[in-house]
Amino acid sequence: MIKIICVRARKNEKRPATTSPFTMDNWLKICLLVVFAVATTGNEEATPAKLLFSKQILNKYLVEGMDIVIKYSLFNVGGTAALDVQVADNTFGPQDFEVVGGQLKVTIDRIAPGSNATHVVVIRPSKFGYFNFTAAEVTYLPSENAAEALVGLSSEPGQGAIVPFKEYDRKFSPHLLDWLSFAVMSMPSLVLPFALWFSSKSKYEAVLTQKKDK
Amino acid sequence: SCSSPRLTSTSFTTLDGTILTNIAYVSQFKLSCDGEPADIPLYAEVGGKPLSVVKSKETNEYVVSWLEETKKAPRGNFEIKVYDDEGYAAVRKAQRNGEDTSAVQTVGVVVLYHPGAYTGPWINSELAAVIVAFGVLYYAVTTKTKLEA
Repeated sequence: MIKIICVRARKNEKRPATTSPFTMDNWLKICLLVVFAVATTGNEEATPAKLLFSKQILNKYLVEGMDIVIKYSLFNVGGTAALDVQVADNTFGPQDFEVVGGQLKVTIDRIAPGSNATHVVVIRPSKFGYFNFTAAEVTYLPSENAAEALVGLSSEPGQGAIVPFKEYDRKFSPHLLDWLSFAVMSMPSLVLPFALWFSSKSKYEAVLTQKKDK
Repeated sequence: SCSSPRLTSTSFTTLDGTILTNIAYVSQFKLSCDGEPADIPLYAEVGGKPLSVVKSKETNEYVVSWLEETKKAPRGNFEIKVYDDEGYAAVRKAQRNGEDTSAVQTVGVVVLYHPGAYTGPWINSELAAVIVAFGVLYYAVTTKTKLEA
């Protein structure tokens, strides 16, 4: 409706200026008034709740048998509170992952408009290889009188490589045992000449002091 | 609201500081009011920071969780104060008025212990080996020059 009025206003430009109240200038003012009225009265009915859902993996490396920290964040950008928010992450099967902290299926009673909720889960992979981290699901009621629950998906972190523990250990562990065995193996070439010199030195000094005493 | 509340909790923190960017603190607790498991909405706070409290329907537990950066994550005991509706409203009111919030009655306090995350050895073992090697070299060279002199 508003568009039509504005276009008509432009079309009237070519007509000569008359004393009628429906001049181009007045049309423009009416246009703006109508737009403003619609925009402000639109807020009488608050917009229903809409949740933005993000899933993040907070790891530098993904290692078999070591923790993976997952952060789920929900943000309500709607005008009403989201009710009965149920978050379920079914992408981590029990054969491949073990949940060590938090729960993969949780419920949040209420997320107020403009506020957020975060949830952290810690899991441990029991197998190595490439794993595609896909989206978690959320269902919520967008308003109190909503008939149906809305379903949403989170962001997908994408594919990650879970390295086997041996590789991680080779790269990052302090290898104390290896260094100790290196020291033991390099000992003979150092200690043997030192021992020879030291024994002959002490014998020589012993002889020297004997001579001096004489 | 809850009368004679009882909280039982289990906690978990991640202990590795080398592969994780943030340390996760997770606490799961069960609330019983008058001996019956409760299903009321709860609110939690740790160190003045509000936490999202989520419920797990499967295990009938409440879960609170938060993250800290690995470098800044302090070790020790963390007190998680759990409030019900009235308690939390009182806390918010006290915060708005700039009053002390510790006077508000909590439903319970959950203590979470974080022993500190392992961020790697104090000295790199390669560095230690280099230091030892230099030490041996230094001793050998000085003794040799003493002999020659």
